[in-house]
Amino acid sequence: MRYDSITEAIGNTPLVRIDPAVHGLRNIDLYAKLEMLNPFGSVKDRAAWSMARPLLDEAVEHGSQVVELSSGNTAKALAVIAGMHGLGFRSVTNRMRVPEIKDLLLLLGAEIEELPGQSECLDPTATDDPLTLFHRTLSASGSAYLHTDQYFNPRNTEAHLTGTGPEIVKDLDGRVPDWFVACVGTAGSSTGVARALREEDPSVRVLGLVGAKSDFIPGIRTIDEVQEVGLFDPETYDTMESVSADEAIEGMLTLNRRCGILGGPTGGAAYFGAVRHLRAVDEELSERRTAVFIVCDRVESYLSYVRQRRPDLLGRPPRKNSPADLSDAEIGAAPSIGVAGARHWIDTDRPLVVDLRSPFAYAALHIDGSVNIVDELFAELLRGGLPFSRRQPVLLACPVGEQSARYAALLTRMGHPDVRSLAGGIIAWRDAGAPLVRD
Amino acid sequence: MDGRPLYLEPRLEPRLRSLVAAHGTLHSIVDALGSPLHLVVPDQIAENLERFRSVYRAHHLSGQVFYAHKANRSSALLRRLAATDAGVDVASLGELQHALGAGFGADRITATGPKNPEFLWLAARTGVTVGVDGVAELDRLAGLVRKHGLAPVRVLLRLSGFEAPGVKVLSRRSRFGTPVREVEPLLEAVERHGDAVEPTGVAFHLDTTSVAEKATALEGCLAALELCRSRGLRPRAVDIGGGFGISYLAEREQWEAYTSGLTAAVLGRRPPLTWGGHGYGLRSESGTLRGTLGLYPAHRPVTGAAYLDELLAQPAGSLGGRPLAALLLEHLYDLHTEPGRALLDQCGVTLARVLEVRGPEPGGELLVRLAAKADDIALEDHGVLMDPVVVPRSGAGPGQGPVAVHLFGSLCLETDLITRRTVFLPRRPEPGDLLAFANTAGYAMDFHATRAQYQPGARKVAAWQDGDAWRWCLDDQFWPITPSGGVQ
Ligand SMILES: Cc1ncc(COP(=O)(O)O)c(C=O)c1O
Repeated sequence: MRYDSITEAIGNTPLVRIDPAVHGLRNIDLYAKLEMLNPFGSVKDRAAWSMARPLLDEAVEHGSQVVELSSGNTAKALAVIAGMHGLGFRSVTNRMRVPEIKDLLLLLGAEIEELPGQSECLDPTATDDPLTLFHRTLSASGSAYLHTDQYFNPRNTEAHLTGTGPEIVKDLDGRVPDWFVACVGTAGSSTGVARALREEDPSVRVLGLVGAKSDFIPGIRTIDEVQEVGLFDPETYDTMESVSADEAIEGMLTLNRRCGILGGPTGGAAYFGAVRHLRAVDEELSERRTAVFIVCDRVESYLSYVRQRRPDLLGRPPRKNSPADLSDAEIGAAPSIGVAGARHWIDTDRPLVVDLRSPFAYAALHIDGSVNIVDELFAELLRGGLPFSRRQPVLLACPVGEQSARYAALLTRMGHPDVRSLAGGIIAWRDAGAPLVRD
Repeated sequence: MDGRPLYLEPRLEPRLRSLVAAHGTLHSIVDALGSPLHLVVPDQIAENLERFRSVYRAHHLSGQVFYAHKANRSSALLRRLAATDAGVDVASLGELQHALGAGFGADRITATGPKNPEFLWLAARTGVTVGVDGVAELDRLAGLVRKHGLAPVRVLLRLSGFEAPGVKVLSRRSRFGTPVREVEPLLEAVERHGDAVEPTGVAFHLDTTSVAEKATALEGCLAALELCRSRGLRPRAVDIGGGFGISYLAEREQWEAYTSGLTAAVLGRRPPLTWGGHGYGLRSESGTLRGTLGLYPAHRPVTGAAYLDELLAQPAGSLGGRPLAALLLEHLYDLHTEPGRALLDQCGVTLARVLEVRGPEPGGELLVRLAAKADDIALEDHGVLMDPVVVPRSGAGPGQGPVAVHLFGSLCLETDLITRRTVFLPRRPEPGDLLAFANTAGYAMDFHATRAQYQPGARKVAAWQDGDAWRWCLDDQFWPITPSGGVQ
C-alpha cells in the first residue's frame, strides 16, 4: 500500500468476524466494520473528506475558516484536513464533555467554542437559542467560512452510500448482510450504508441505536435529539432501540478485552445493541445469517469517560506507605501541636515546616521559612521511604490540620520519632493572629 | 404513539407530602381566606439550609449561606431563617428593610443587583456588605460614604466574562458585573476609594445550569483574588451567587416520556399535547425538529446542596488540577453562596379552587376553570411543568379514572391559561375541589402576581407541624416564637 496523501488511506476498512464463543449467537455470523482504523481515527473521516474536498480549492483561495458543530470525531478529521490545506478550523458545540478530545483538538490546532448551559431563570419569550445565533453569524458574514454542516449535508450520507456500504457487500463476497446495526449521531453512516445495502437487497433489516435519554454516550444522540438532525429519517430504520452508557461500556469492554478490537463506547453500544437484538431472533433460526455493526472510533480518547462511570475498571492495587490505609485510631493518635506551642517549638528547635497545600495557595500566604510539598507529591515521596533524617524534627501543616494529622501518623508509623501536625492548620494559625508571609 | 396519560407528578418530600394530604385543613384555610392561596412551610427552609451547611462542613469551608430574598416575599420564611445562622441577599430597598426588620443584623446581609440611591444609602448606613457591579457604582457608593460621613463600607466586586484556558465557553450576555478583562481599572478605583470602601472579596452570579461554567468562574475568581493580594489588598471571600436548582418531578421516566411525547407532537406524530399546538420553543421545519425547548429541566439528578458539592469537587485546570474546594480552603477563603430557589425547595404549595368543569366535545379535553389567575401560579412563567394534586372537597368517590384537562384562570382573557399544556389527572375534578400546586415557593408565588381586573392576589399563610396536626397563621403573623411553631 503506497499513497501520495494520507487522505487516500480513508476507507477500505477491515470487516472482522466476532468469535461466536464471545457473542454466543448460534446461527448468526456477526461482523464488525472497523471504521476506527481510518487514518484520523474514526468513521467521520469519510464524511469530513467527502464534505470538505469539493470546497477546498475555493476555501484556500479565500483563506476561509472551516467551521462545524461537532463534539469530537468530525471535528478531529476536519481539523486535520483544514490544517493540511493551511486553513483554520473552528468547532462550536454544546456536547463536548470528554476532556481528552478537547485537548486533542487543541493540539491539532482547532479553535473550540462551547455553548453556554441552559438558563436557570428562563425567559420564555426568548426565541434565539445559541445555535440559531451561530447560524445567523455564519450566513451574515459572507464567504469567509467553509461550513460543512454535517447534520444536513447530503455528502455526509453519500460517503457511506458509495464507500462503507459497497465495501461491506464486497467483503461478504457480494452478499448483503441480513442485519445492519449502527449508532445514530449525524445519521450519515447509518443512512448511507442502509441505502447502499437496500439497493442490492431490500430485505436487509436495519437497526438504529440511540442513547438512553438520561445518559450520555459520546458521539450519539438520544431518541429526541436525532429529530434535530436533517439527515435523520425514521423510515431508514426497521427498528430503533436505545442503549445506556453502562451497556455501551460493557459492550466496549467485551470488544477490547475479548476480541482485541480497541473500539470506543459507540462501538461498544453497537455491539451490545446488536447482540441484545439478535439473541431473540437467533433462537428461531434454522439457517445461517449474517449481521454487521460499525465500530466508529477508538477507546483511547475515552479514559476519563470510563473513569467517571466505572472507576472500578481502572482500579490499581493498593500502594505501600499510603495514607489511605491508616486506621482512624492511628490518625487520632497522631502527634499534634497547637499554634502557640508550634510557634515556641519553631523558635527553640527549628523543626522543618512542611506546608502540604498547593503551590498557588502556598505562594499567596505561608509560614515564614516553611517548605512547600503538595500532598499528592508528598504521598509519592513517602512510597519510597522517609524523605528526611530521623534527627530532623518536622512540623506538618495543611488547611485545617486534617491531612497533616494523617501524614504525621504515617511518618510515625514509618519510624520518624519527632513529627507533629499543626492542630487546626493554617486557618487556626491565621485566626490566632500568627504571621503569614508571601515572599 | 397512543394517547395514554403523560403524568408529571411532583416530587414531594415528607413534610410537603403530609401537608398536601391534610385535606380538611387545606379546605378550611381556603374557606377562610379565599382562593388562590399560598402556603409556606418555614421549618423546611431551615432544613434546606442545614443541607447546604453540611456540604460546607464536609469540605471544612467557612463562609455564609445567603438566602436570595428575591425568590419569595414571605415574612415567615425570612423570619424563620433569621433564627438560624443564615444570611440574606437583598436586591432592593424594600428587601433590605424587610431583612433588617426580620432580625438580620448588617453582618448577615449582602446587597446585590441594580441599586437606587436610597438602597445604596441604607446599605452603607447600616453597614451591610455591598456587591458592586462596576467602577461607576463604586464611585457612587464612595461618594455617599464621604458626603454623609459614614464608616467605610465592605464591598464584594462582582465579576463576569470568565474564560477557560484553551476552550472558549460562549456565555450569555449579562448586564451585571465587571468583565474580568477590566478588573485592573476596578482595583484602581478600589484603591482610589480606600478611605470609603473595604474590599472583602469577589463575587459572581451566572444564570446557567452548567457546573462547568461556574467552575470556570470560580477558578477565575481565585485568580482575581490573587491579583488583589499581589496589590496589597486583603480579600477573604468568594461569593458564587445562586442557581443551584430544584428537581421538581418525582420520576425521571415521566419527564423523559413527556418531552419525547412533546417532540413527537410537534413533529405531528401524535395528537397535540398543548393548547393550540404550542411547542414550548420547538417547531417542525419540513419534518426536522428546530428551536430549543424553553422549559426548566424539571427532573434534574443533581440540585441544591448536592450541586454545590459537585461544583466544589471540580478540578481547577489552571491551578494544578486540585478540586476547587481544596483550593478555597488552602487559600483560607470564605465561600459565600446565595441560593434562592434551592433554599425554597419543598417550602410551599399554592391552592386554587375548581369553579367549573366543562366538556366541550365528547372525548375531548375537559376545560377546568380555577379561582386563580395564571400569574398567581407562575410555574409556567418559569418553564416548570408539573401536575397539580387534586384535593377533593368531600370524601366523594374517586371519579371515573384518568382525564385530560386544560386549566384556565379567572381572567377575562384568552391567554389566561394556568398552563398551555394538556394536564392529565388521575380522576375528574369537581367544582369545589382544590388543586394543590406543589413546590411553588421559589419564584412561582409573587414574582409575577398582579391585581388585574380587581381580582385579589393570593394571600399567604405559614404552616407548621404540631405533632400529627398542621397549624397555620397568616404569613405576617409568623415569628420563630409563634406558639409551637418555628424554633422549638
Ligand atoms: C445575585 C443573585 N444571587 C442569587 C440569585 C438566586 O438564584 P437562585 O434563585 O437560582 O438560587 C440571583 C437570581 O437572580 C441573583 O441575581
